[in-house]
Amino acid sequence: MLYFAVRRLVSALLVMFAISVLVFLIFFATPGVDPAARIAGRNADQVTLAQVRHSFGLDRPLPVRYLLMMRHLLVDRDLESFVNRGSRVIPQIVQAVPVTLSLVVGAAVLWMAVGILMGTAAAALRGTAADPVIMLVGVIGVSLPAYWLGEVVNLITQKQLHDTVFSWVPPPGYVGLGRDPAQWALHMLFPWLTLSLLYAGIYARLLRGEVVTAMNEDYVRTARAKGLSERRILIRHALRCSLIPIVSLFGLDFGALVGGAALLTEVVFGLPGVGKLTYDALQNLDLPVIMGTVLYAAFFVVLANALVDVLYARLDPRARHA
Amino acid sequence: MSRTTRRTAFAATAVALALTAAACSSSGDGGSSDPSASSSGSGSSAFQPQHKGGTLRLVAKSAAGTFDPQVNYTLQYWQLYQSMYDGLLAFKKVGGQASFTVVPDLAEAMPKVSNGGKTYTFTLRKGIKFSDGKALTSDDVVASFQRIFKVSSPTAGTFYNGIVGADACIKKPAGCILDKGVVGDASAGTVTINLTAPDPEFAYKLAVPHASIVPKDSPEKDAGTKPLPTTGPYMAASYDPNRQLKLVRNPHFKEWSRDGQPQGYPDVIEYSFGQTVESEVTAVQNGEADWMYDPPPSDRLNEIGTKYASQAHVNPLTAFWYLTLNVNMAPFDNKLARQAINWAVDRDAVVRLYGGKNLASPACTVLPPGFPGHVDSCAYTKGGGKTWSAPDLAKARELVKQSGTAGQSVGIVVSDDEVNKSIGQYLQSLLNEIGYKATLKPLSGNIQFTYIQNTKNKVQLALTSWYQDYPAASDFLNVLLSCASFHPGSDSSINISGFCDEGIDARMQDALKTGQTDQKKADQEWAAIDQDIMTESPVVPLINPKIVDFTSKRVGNYQFSKQFYMLVGQLWVK
Amino acid sequence: MTAPVTSRARRSPGPWRTAAADLLRNRSAVAAAAVLLVVVALSLCAPLYADHIAHTDPFQSHVSGTTVVDGRTVPVLTPSTTGLGLGVTPIGPTWDTGHYFLGADNQGRDVMARLLYGGRTSLLIGFSAALLTCALGTFVGVVAGYLGGAVDAVVSRVLDVIWAFPVYLLAICLSVVLLTNGLRLGPVTVEAGSLWLPVVIIAAIYVPYVARPLRGQVLVLRNKEFIQAAVGSGAPTSRILRREVLPNVLPTAIVFVPLMTALAMLTESALSFLSVGVQPPDASWGTIVQDGLGLLYTRPAVTIAPGLLIALTTAALNVLGDGVRDALDPSARLRGGV
Repeated sequence: MLYFAVRRLVSALLVMFAISVLVFLIFFATPGVDPAARIAGRNADQVTLAQVRHSFGLDRPLPVRYLLMMRHLLVDRDLESFVNRGSRVIPQIVQAVPVTLSLVVGAAVLWMAVGILMGTAAAALRGTAADPVIMLVGVIGVSLPAYWLGEVVNLITQKQLHDTVFSWVPPPGYVGLGRDPAQWALHMLFPWLTLSLLYAGIYARLLRGEVVTAMNEDYVRTARAKGLSERRILIRHALRCSLIPIVSLFGLDFGALVGGAALLTEVVFGLPGVGKLTYDALQNLDLPVIMGTVLYAAFFVVLANALVDVLYARLDPRARHA
Repeated sequence: MSRTTRRTAFAATAVALALTAAACSSSGDGGSSDPSASSSGSGSSAFQPQHKGGTLRLVAKSAAGTFDPQVNYTLQYWQLYQSMYDGLLAFKKVGGQASFTVVPDLAEAMPKVSNGGKTYTFTLRKGIKFSDGKALTSDDVVASFQRIFKVSSPTAGTFYNGIVGADACIKKPAGCILDKGVVGDASAGTVTINLTAPDPEFAYKLAVPHASIVPKDSPEKDAGTKPLPTTGPYMAASYDPNRQLKLVRNPHFKEWSRDGQPQGYPDVIEYSFGQTVESEVTAVQNGEADWMYDPPPSDRLNEIGTKYASQAHVNPLTAFWYLTLNVNMAPFDNKLARQAINWAVDRDAVVRLYGGKNLASPACTVLPPGFPGHVDSCAYTKGGGKTWSAPDLAKARELVKQSGTAGQSVGIVVSDDEVNKSIGQYLQSLLNEIGYKATLKPLSGNIQFTYIQNTKNKVQLALTSWYQDYPAASDFLNVLLSCASFHPGSDSSINISGFCDEGIDARMQDALKTGQTDQKKADQEWAAIDQDIMTESPVVPLINPKIVDFTSKRVGNYQFSKQFYMLVGQLWVK
Repeated sequence: MTAPVTSRARRSPGPWRTAAADLLRNRSAVAAAAVLLVVVALSLCAPLYADHIAHTDPFQSHVSGTTVVDGRTVPVLTPSTTGLGLGVTPIGPTWDTGHYFLGADNQGRDVMARLLYGGRTSLLIGFSAALLTCALGTFVGVVAGYLGGAVDAVVSRVLDVIWAFPVYLLAICLSVVLLTNGLRLGPVTVEAGSLWLPVVIIAAIYVPYVARPLRGQVLVLRNKEFIQAAVGSGAPTSRILRREVLPNVLPTAIVFVPLMTALAMLTESALSFLSVGVQPPDASWGTIVQDGLGLLYTRPAVTIAPGLLIALTTAALNVLGDGVRDALDPSARLRGGV
């Protein structure tokens, strides 16, 4: 088990290394991306341009530039943005994390609750008209483009019905939890609903499938034979076993979202989280920030994957060799 | 001088890069016919203490980078620096045409110019202190001029290269001393600047933020997000480019000249970053913010122009949006092909895509209306005339056929924000109509400007814009279209068309020389140069844009400086 | 997460037919298929609509154009004339299929005609990307799972990298490079701005979604008796892969196609929203949404209509996909959610 965990860790580090190299290479393969001219300012003299290029180390060979950047990011922890000079990358990420966490944790609670409820209800009502209806609702949630949904929600709450039903909806943006918990929740409400609508369907559909399968398993038949009530069987036995794949999928999704995968939701609702930071950095082609946020995101994805793998390995020894 | 203000639209990205100064001058331009409510107060009215106080809240989609006044080259912060930093000279801080006048600021009076225009002698005002409490001396002035080179200021090699010793400083910034160029005399309180050649525009160059005077112990590198002490009414209390910039009163400021540096009204100025442009509009409408930096998105303009008309201020800018035609690559190495584009483009369509005729006017010359050297003339309008009236597609098709370039492919490079992209789509459609095979490449706003400059990227046609740095014709013609601005293979080659005509170049040098003695005659020369360049057609002027300032209901005393736009420190919130 | 199809199920001649019968009995799946057919048919009719009904060229700007409404000639883009006269508003829905049924976009182009053309692009990209992903993913998963050892180790790490690289970041990074330069892979050249660029990008980022579960299946399959028997009989590896392994994982791969198409269409629209997907003047539903965002407050239909079409089509694909899965391989799971 320990050997497996160590191996997993080494491969995770390898993956992170590969990602950082990839980001770096893609960046410098993009034409017009050389930040020297942008930093130097418009119509800068050729000599000034050369000075700027030199002072940022942009005239050095690529591997050296890569090592320098990683040293500043990981060892000295003082890597600075190309665009907002003097603005350090790590504090920017640290500042953005609580926003992303607010969004993701709130949405996750919602979608897990709704997803489990919908999935279980659909499985329990299998054969009735309610099952396909619940599943259809789930499918529609999964099928909506995230940014579009966000824009339409904004349109309705900020304009179309803002003067009547939604006059209590604050303008998009973020208020810190510490500053005003009520405003925090109010500002996060629609982002939460939007994000969780997209995920609840996935979990409902997955859970329904698992529960339906489980209801045909031997242990359920045994329980039935013992004369337990259907409700008890459903909740105590079938649902419990069905939650394992749900939890592992949740681990992956949660990891990716904390890493900034909720980028579109954050952008549309103007939440200054990690996704928005990444998006802005991409728009500005601000390599140091892109590097920081991508590695941060990859860290959570890799971590979530590793945890899920280790969990599976505990449950199923065969997976250790997989 | 230059600048592009790339103001951006919702969802479309792109950050305003650029900069500068503004506006249009003089009589007879679109300004007077403008329906806007912009009140440009004239002259220096006295400070009205009853309006003093309060917090002014500004919003922008994003910050504009470093806060170092000697490095930052964006309109967004140059506007703020007006009530923070001072140079020896300043543009007069008033609304209207007078804002193009240069007045003494940290200097007691305009400099004594001697030695055939090559020596400027300034006497410093006494008793001025930085916001950290230290007194300003001639040592600070000398150090600040050295610092321009030490921090590789964007304009070090273009504005200040005429100072004696500047060559050495540009090549080796670290040891820059300028000992023959900028000489301070602490006991007399004077500073003498020596130039290698007379420069009629030098006073302008001393009045822009890159020539701000900062303390002599300022770091010898870009100060970045740690703002330097100021001399003006406000100083920065904190700056986080992802969240907020906060300006508070400089406790050591005492008004020394209302023209040069007037006392400000609000006690605190909070500038927040990171909202979407749509929510900026909503915030100003609801009074949660007092002003938005970004141009309002196109679908909100109508609402702002009607329901909120009293809070909107429209002012013309001395700037132009234009197409560059690469004269060194097919098909636009052919003069007829270039002229065809000038004939074909429907400026009214571009005006419409920009937001309508009250937000932009059709352009036909390089120099904007109201700018020194501008004369109404239009070589490419259906039926002739001094101003543009309609495109002539038949003529354009004919020229394309004559040039033998029909059927060739043309790549159009635009930045990917809403307005630029929609103009790009129109152009693509138009070029296909007159016989080319056009492809459109929308690039992230941040790389488009450097991408189109580099000849290695083989850009045939690009959409870009130029906003004045200071009111002089050379700021457009000499900067954008002289041989000296063309640097093949470099990302900094502002002559994007690669246009280099020795005859015209020589005439531009002559006009610069004439300007040392007779500005009026020089401006006539520039007007002729402008028209001759248009005959060669290396660029296609599209529109002269206007700016909309949208303020909250409680804001008063709106004044628009043609040089640096809305005077932030003069707004009333009480 | 997936279980192998037993060799018994694969050996008998009937499983495909049984599956088809199962699918036909599934009413939701049939309804979804019908919806998809309608959407595809309408999209295919795009040129018919544009040329013969609306008489418009949806790829040509009509910034200064006019049209006739209620007998009056009106500009397609109307500048505001009240107040300060700021802004320009395109014509709204006329509800007349002859012209501007759903109104115009900011270039004065007919939104209805663009929606139909956009459907062709979106469906083409979604389906092509899904096929490519499933083909690549199956190949990679089968080869890596069966060969094991160094090949598997290398492939798995590469998949890990793609998997851990946030989907949109990877897509945006690739798009920025490819949009400026185009793609050159040996003899294959994809021009910058070509429709195949988003296909290639989307296919690449989702390969792990298909390859990982299939690799897991093959790992289990490798130890089955019928494979071992084939190995024992001295059959060459390529033959075993083709004749024994592939048929057993194919149902899962097929199950992924409709689900992957839905995912690919959503991704395409998101990329177009971020301006890195389909390039103008080509239209896809994603680009029409993006064009419409600039008109959200004045002409919301331009944004809402393509969004609803995306939702309808992906929902139909998901329902159909579920039906196919229930019929072919009930245990197949695609990691969804972006």
